[in-house]
Amino acid sequence: MSIISVSGVTKIYRQYRRFPGIIGSVRSLFTRQYSEEIAVKDITFSIEKGEAVGYLGPNGAGKSTMIKMMTGILLPSAGEVRVLNEIPHKARKNNSQHLGVVFGQRSQLWWDLPVTDSFELHKYIYKISDESYRKNLGFCTELLSLSDFINKPVRQLSLGQRMRVEIAMALLHEPEILFLDEPTIGLDVMAKDQIRQFLRAVNQEKKTTILLTTHDMKDIEEICPRMIIVNKGSLVYDGSVAALRSKLGDERRVVIEFAQDPGSIEISGLTLIKEEGSRKTFLFTRNGTTVFDYVSRIAEKYPIEDVSIEDVDIESIIRRLYKQLAAEDEESQGRQPILVGGAN
Amino acid sequence: MKTYLMFTAKAFSNQMAYRSEVWFRLLGNFVTILIQVAIWKAVIGEVDVGQVSIETMTTYSILNTLLTALLLNGISGKVDSSLKSGSISSELVKPISYPLYLLFEGLGGSVYQLVFTAVPSFLIAWLYFGIMPPASPVFLAAYVTALLMALAISFLLGYLVSLIAFWFMNHFALSWMLGGLLTIFSGSFLPLWLFPPTWEGVAKLLPFQFLGYVPASLYLGVIPAESILGVFIAGIIWIAILLLIVQWLWKKAISRLVIQGG
Repeated sequence: MSIISVSGVTKIYRQYRRFPGIIGSVRSLFTRQYSEEIAVKDITFSIEKGEAVGYLGPNGAGKSTMIKMMTGILLPSAGEVRVLNEIPHKARKNNSQHLGVVFGQRSQLWWDLPVTDSFELHKYIYKISDESYRKNLGFCTELLSLSDFINKPVRQLSLGQRMRVEIAMALLHEPEILFLDEPTIGLDVMAKDQIRQFLRAVNQEKKTTILLTTHDMKDIEEICPRMIIVNKGSLVYDGSVAALRSKLGDERRVVIEFAQDPGSIEISGLTLIKEEGSRKTFLFTRNGTTVFDYVSRIAEKYPIEDVSIEDVDIESIIRRLYKQLAAEDEESQGRQPILVGGAN
Repeated sequence: MKTYLMFTAKAFSNQMAYRSEVWFRLLGNFVTILIQVAIWKAVIGEVDVGQVSIETMTTYSILNTLLTALLLNGISGKVDSSLKSGSISSELVKPISYPLYLLFEGLGGSVYQLVFTAVPSFLIAWLYFGIMPPASPVFLAAYVTALLMALAISFLLGYLVSLIAFWFMNHFALSWMLGGLLTIFSGSFLPLWLFPPTWEGVAKLLPFQFLGYVPASLYLGVIPAESILGVFIAGIIWIAILLLIVQWLWKKAISRLVIQGG
């Protein structure tokens, strides 16, 4: 039995038309014209207990809307969402006892009170026993190094500290599912790293199911073996990170450090993409010949100091996917998902 | 229940963060009372206002000024800002009842106001202007009961306005209208017994009188002892009516919730 199942879910927002200018704003008072905006369009997927899934998509792709439907705050316009075998909107209060939610751009903390006060209140709201409160708080305090600022008022915390506190708080009641909406937004590298390591530990040690939305591919690579990609409300990819890479990432980057600048080199099959004196970067597309053949062919003509071959990073792959989708969108209006791969 | 009382406690200590505000509130209350007393002195000095003494009007003004500080009028502003910022989603993902959360958090503010504003202001006003004692112990008990009703009704009215704001996404015009109705029909400035008979009749059919006129008149014993029960029954009926409307609207509002941003 899946812990989350989403079948054929659509969410339409109705937006009343507004007219520009002063006369327009008066006109807006008397009109009921509206346009319908489809935030989520016929999405189906399911998540098993203990999975860690990244939910990815460009801005406005309907990621937060989906989280809000799964937590029971918003009602889907069509289709069915089931979380912990219940309909979230109906069982909102009961389900919330077993869910942890972090909205990266909003705070659930009491702004003027010390961090511990928010934690303590959380303990009462979720009716956490003294023992498990102490245990979970200890776990989070240690792994997220909260002890330096746990007695400071929330308003004095840096964004990175605050986010660590938000995540810790969402886990105090040992939720079965943890939803994170852009948990690393605006954080520095160190804070991001710590949060990622922590979430991985939570997923692996506590077997907490994690679903996170993000724009940062490293979040997904480090925490989530599986990702779901949405674009303009529709699901475009559901599968493993590795599978997407092999589908779209058939390119390698070859960086060659020549002994001296050889001038321009023309080799079919390799595209020069960057040139810094004697150091040149080529893009290689798999086509039967191995990358070593090319390199040895070049090495016959020019002395080479060093060679490195890199996979294209997942970010470029996603970028290609988005571009490809945008192009297809322009071509045809019959927007069928192009790339729905089987899970894993 | 304990959870909700914790909200009250946290809201109370949250307000402590802005302690310096207390001085301004005390000053504000003092000035408000001073002006009202001056007005009544001027009025009563010149015309006959139905045998109402200046002492009665002074006490009436003090009681109403202090009551205003205690009422839960900030609810609609709070719901409005959490609707606009989208932070309502954080409140809705918790295993608590949102309306009860609002009520108990509001009460924390009221207790704070009681301790740091109302009681000190009362003492200052007592020393400076003089306050009449309650008409009798029975009227004092009735006054305290009426205060609790005033808290309940002010919460329900504020909450009603904020629920209507779920449809319009803005509470300002509604709150302004509510403020206007309260100023006139609560009788907090002009007691209902000074209204023309028709308007007095209208005011007594509305719930707003419970937020000013009723508690103060009970304290002063202006409402005859035999009418107390009737007034309380009316108050309870209003609470019940407002509760039903609010319950119904909440169910509707929550299923059409639109969360801005994010």
